[in-house]
Amino acid sequence: MAEIGHGGKEIKERIMKPDEAKEKIKGLAQVPINKQIANEIIDISYGWFTPLEGFMNKKQVDSVVKDMKLPDGTLWPIPIMLDLSDKEIADYGVENGKSVVLTYQGNPMALLEVEDIFEVDRTEMCQSVFGTTEEKHPGCHRIYNCKDKFVGGKITLLKEPTINEPFGPYFLPPLKMREVIKERGWDRSVAHQTRNIPHTGHEWLMKGAFFQTHNDLPVEKPNVGVVVNAIIGEKRVKDYIDEAIILCQNELQNAGYFGPHNHLTSLTFWDMRYAGPKEAIFHAILRVNLGITHHMFGRDHAGVGDYYGGYEAHHLLESVRDQLDITPVYSMNWLYCPVCAEITSEGLCNHKDQQQKFSGTLIRSIVTDGVKPPRLIIRPEVFDRAMESANKYGAQNSPFVNEEYLETRTPVFDIEPL
Amino acid sequence: MTDGKNPIYIWVNEERYEKLKELGLDKHTEERLAGMKVLTVYATNEEADRLVKEFGAKHDTSTTGSIELLPPYLKDKIFDKVVEKKSLEVVSDVLKEV
Repeated sequence: MAEIGHGGKEIKERIMKPDEAKEKIKGLAQVPINKQIANEIIDISYGWFTPLEGFMNKKQVDSVVKDMKLPDGTLWPIPIMLDLSDKEIADYGVENGKSVVLTYQGNPMALLEVEDIFEVDRTEMCQSVFGTTEEKHPGCHRIYNCKDKFVGGKITLLKEPTINEPFGPYFLPPLKMREVIKERGWDRSVAHQTRNIPHTGHEWLMKGAFFQTHNDLPVEKPNVGVVVNAIIGEKRVKDYIDEAIILCQNELQNAGYFGPHNHLTSLTFWDMRYAGPKEAIFHAILRVNLGITHHMFGRDHAGVGDYYGGYEAHHLLESVRDQLDITPVYSMNWLYCPVCAEITSEGLCNHKDQQQKFSGTLIRSIVTDGVKPPRLIIRPEVFDRAMESANKYGAQNSPFVNEEYLETRTPVFDIEPL
Repeated sequence: MTDGKNPIYIWVNEERYEKLKELGLDKHTEERLAGMKVLTVYATNEEADRLVKEFGAKHDTSTTGSIELLPPYLKDKIFDKVVEKKSLEVVSDVLKEV
């Protein structure tokens, strides 16, 4: 039976058979690409970006920038573009109607059928997608620093990536994820977007969303799952290392705070654009394609600095709900109250002057010092896993990204020779 | 920042708190979150400079004036020295030993 993704389109993997791939690329120019593009090739090829079949052409980009839609009317908030320099276009003979091989780590990764080579108004694009044209916004910075031209065309993966340890079990592309959800017997699932190791505030966000999602379903059997979907992409100094994020999220299940009957850890390759409201819609689309029925959105989802209002993403989501096959679950913050003596919701507890809020800075400071906190802040098993990940994968035994980690880490995936 | 008043925050979990309690130093801790407490010791400006230059610390001169990002082993050493000396005046001793 066909698996239907965003926009009512069937999810089809675009992956060539190995023998066919060798034959197809004979004599074609080979164009090296960077990690961001490699991530997005995986997203396109496995169906995370359904209904996209490749990098956008000018008509698609213009439509997204002007109307937040693809030309056929399907909701789409963020341009997906491949940038090349004028020199690369000339040197590799990139032309409309021709195919080229995109290479990553020196090996053939994907076939690109070139449809369009074009320029865009970058300022207009930034204003539309990010609501600002400021260079200091990381999304604008990325757009302004793209190479001279953009190249649109369909993509076909030539060889499946080798997912390196410890990420293998968490690489669940849309068709595989849908199988797993069926195997678990979940009637509903709720996506938790994360780039953190979980403290109990996060844990209760997920538990609260579990109950919100469960709602009117019968309780005789487990039929709701929390799908932790970690965004794995460009890292910045002081971020948590990817290995700690994925292993600590999964530790919540290993240690029994959740179980396989209601929890699943997974990843999506994507460089965050920090587009706030529009990125919230984009995240919803990713999770529609993963077959997830509900999606958590907290305060300032995918925001950065003070560019977006705390609930701006919620408002934009409400305005397009009929175009998204996923139910938003809006989450209030969880905090610690010494009077209640528990983690509680800001929507429940009325000891306003006693509440102790979770702060990312405070948690990072505790983790940095390696002093095991009370289990009401970070579960001891999660803390131990963070320290173990730091020793095993971090540079200078740190759970945080530093320059050395960026230079020496094992890639999340490799593209092997054909 | 007044000389000698550059705070270093040392996290105190239950295990550490018990040690401080035995020494009567628990009154110097302040609760931050769900029982996690913090103990504040102070470095002079000269000591703060050394911590920044030799140990990669950052001196948050714009807001709290605190010394941040000290290596965990150094913070552990500061805590151990507090326990050993039963005093919060320990930064100069620690710097002599490292």
